[in-house]
Amino acid sequence: MNRSGIQLARGWFQLEANRNRMTTFAMALAAIQLAGCVSNQPAPGSVRNTGATAPADLQLACASAAAAPLGVDSSAVLPVSSSQVDEKTFQVVLEAKGARANCVVDTAGTVVSVQKV
Amino acid sequence: MAFPLRTPLRKTSGRTISAATATCLALGVAVWATLAYAAETQIFDPKTHKWVKYDRKKARSYYAAHKQVPEAFRMQVVPFKTAEKPGTIIIDGNQHFLYLVQPGFTAIRYGIGVGREGFGWAGIVRVGRTAEWPTWTPPAEMVARDPNAAKWASGQPGGPDNPLGARALYLYQGDQDTIYRIHGTPEPWTIGLDVSSGCIRMNNDDITDLHSRINVGAKVIVLMQGASLYKGV
Repeated sequence: MNRSGIQLARGWFQLEANRNRMTTFAMALAAIQLAGCVSNQPAPGSVRNTGATAPADLQLACASAAAAPLGVDSSAVLPVSSSQVDEKTFQVVLEAKGARANCVVDTAGTVVSVQKV
Repeated sequence: MAFPLRTPLRKTSGRTISAATATCLALGVAVWATLAYAAETQIFDPKTHKWVKYDRKKARSYYAAHKQVPEAFRMQVVPFKTAEKPGTIIIDGNQHFLYLVQPGFTAIRYGIGVGREGFGWAGIVRVGRTAEWPTWTPPAEMVARDPNAAKWASGQPGGPDNPLGARALYLYQGDQDTIYRIHGTPEPWTIGLDVSSGCIRMNNDDITDLHSRINVGAKVIVLMQGASLYKGV
């Protein structure tokens, strides 16, 4: 093989090697993306409720906190409605003996505010 | 249980409730309509990669395929930060969960089936009494319209086909029976659905477990089911 022939062969091998590297890179990228998709996907049989009511323990935290403003024992305070304010807070409406209070509680269970209405 | 009411029915505010229910109202149990509450339970379908409505048909096919309800509705211990005493029962009808408060800010969570639209209710009650393999007596109205119920007009003995299932916890307010119960069911696939007339149903293993853990007199807090239209006291 003459000199130009050797250079041509070298170039071809380099091109082939680059192509292999690109293919490997593309496959790795696809695998990462696939793994990302799979990990974001809920497990089969997962259930959810489309309503954005406050979790039960947060509603009860508000019930305890509303006892004083409503002037009743906490065992008499009943959460009667709740809704999500934003990603980290819920509003809960409470009632006891005809009186009502609004409560805002965060997802950690900290009562942000309670107001008799 | 298809219908928990034993006494003659009467119409109030466009909805049919019993005299016993009216007593409940007078006693302070708040009854709520769920007319404007559009929330629904959904299950993730791994074939279509979409969330789909978890209705009777879906629930039945899931149960037939897996021989159990979805994992979320199976008994499990969960974190539960509350000032309520251990032994207190909390019912979250929206999420179809019943919590039994445990020490250390945890609770045992069970899946439940609850009242269908218009039959949701909320209140603070107590377990007045309990029964193993209870007898079920259909209300007069049900006997009149349903031939299957008519044959049990004088009471269906306890057993695997009885609508009350393996155990029943009778909910009282003061000394008054509210006519609502927490009970088992011969239809375990209905856990996670809004199917009853206000009773709380659990699968038989779960109600048996709950029954073994609670005392008569235990406090029961039934959280509001549905989000809106206040109809009660």
